[in-house]
Amino acid sequence: MNIAGPDFIKGLAFLGAGIAMGLGAIGPGVGEGFAAGKACEAIGRKPEEAGLLTRTMLVGQAVSESTGIYSLVVALLLLFVV
Amino acid sequence: MEEISHIPQITLNLLGFNLVFNIETIVMTWIVMGILITFGFLATRKIAFVPNPFQVVGELLVSSFYDLTKDALGEDMVKKYFPLICSLFMFLLLSDWLGIIPMLSEPTKDLNTPLSLGIMGFCIAHYSGIKVKGIKQYVKGYCEPIIFMAPLNLIGELAKVISISFRLFGNIMGGAIIILVVSHLVYSLILPPLLVFFFGLFVGTIQAFVFTMLTLVYISLQVK
Repeated sequence: MNIAGPDFIKGLAFLGAGIAMGLGAIGPGVGEGFAAGKACEAIGRKPEEAGLLTRTMLVGQAVSESTGIYSLVVALLLLFVV
Repeated sequence: MEEISHIPQITLNLLGFNLVFNIETIVMTWIVMGILITFGFLATRKIAFVPNPFQVVGELLVSSFYDLTKDALGEDMVKKYFPLICSLFMFLLLSDWLGIIPMLSEPTKDLNTPLSLGIMGFCIAHYSGIKVKGIKQYVKGYCEPIIFMAPLNLIGELAKVISISFRLFGNIMGGAIIILVVSHLVYSLILPPLLVFFFGLFVGTIQAFVFTMLTLVYISLQVK
């Protein structure tokens, strides 16, 4: 099998997009799960503060999601621009 | 599937510069602005003790964001920055919700919109920081804890703009692409409307709120 030139670059770009998205999704997954677990503990301790805790948790999760979003942007660049 | 990477553009040649306009983004931004102006007109047209529905929504938004701004900035600066924060949130919220209507697309799907809003927040935060603290204290803030850290602090400030705008862009764009790919896979049966509601309403609301809150936090870091 002979692959050379633009096809080779295209294939490597697709491979890179897959690796970037797969590895980049680990961190936000762990982080958001951790935040949700801690929020559950806090709600169990103080059920009357549930609304504030949920809002804070969602904002914190959206911020900690950003590394995953960066890897998504890199993967999109590799897929559609390279 | 070709519509992912296709962006409708027109190019104007003006005095030797090539000006590129993204037609779709501009028209969608105009639609959002039109909806916002109409909403503001309807909410404030007949202010009464027994309010009409638009006035109820307007009062809800204004009072909750007034409290949030007061918590972050304090009593004396809330009047100055509250209109910026509230209008930023309403614009982003409507922009993210526009994608759930067929034939329309979110203006935030284009990187230019979040990036320009992020740069706007950056400029406002630093201008108000210089105005409140004075130029000497402002420059001194970069040389903390020692003077060799100044380049790192500078890059940290610039990275805030990149992170805040790419977060919004990536979320909205990623949601749009996932909806497109899943619609293609299941021949637009059953699943796409649910995905549209999840990415358009839920993620859009949270990202608009996060963008607004982070702009507020950046301003409060500078003026405190």
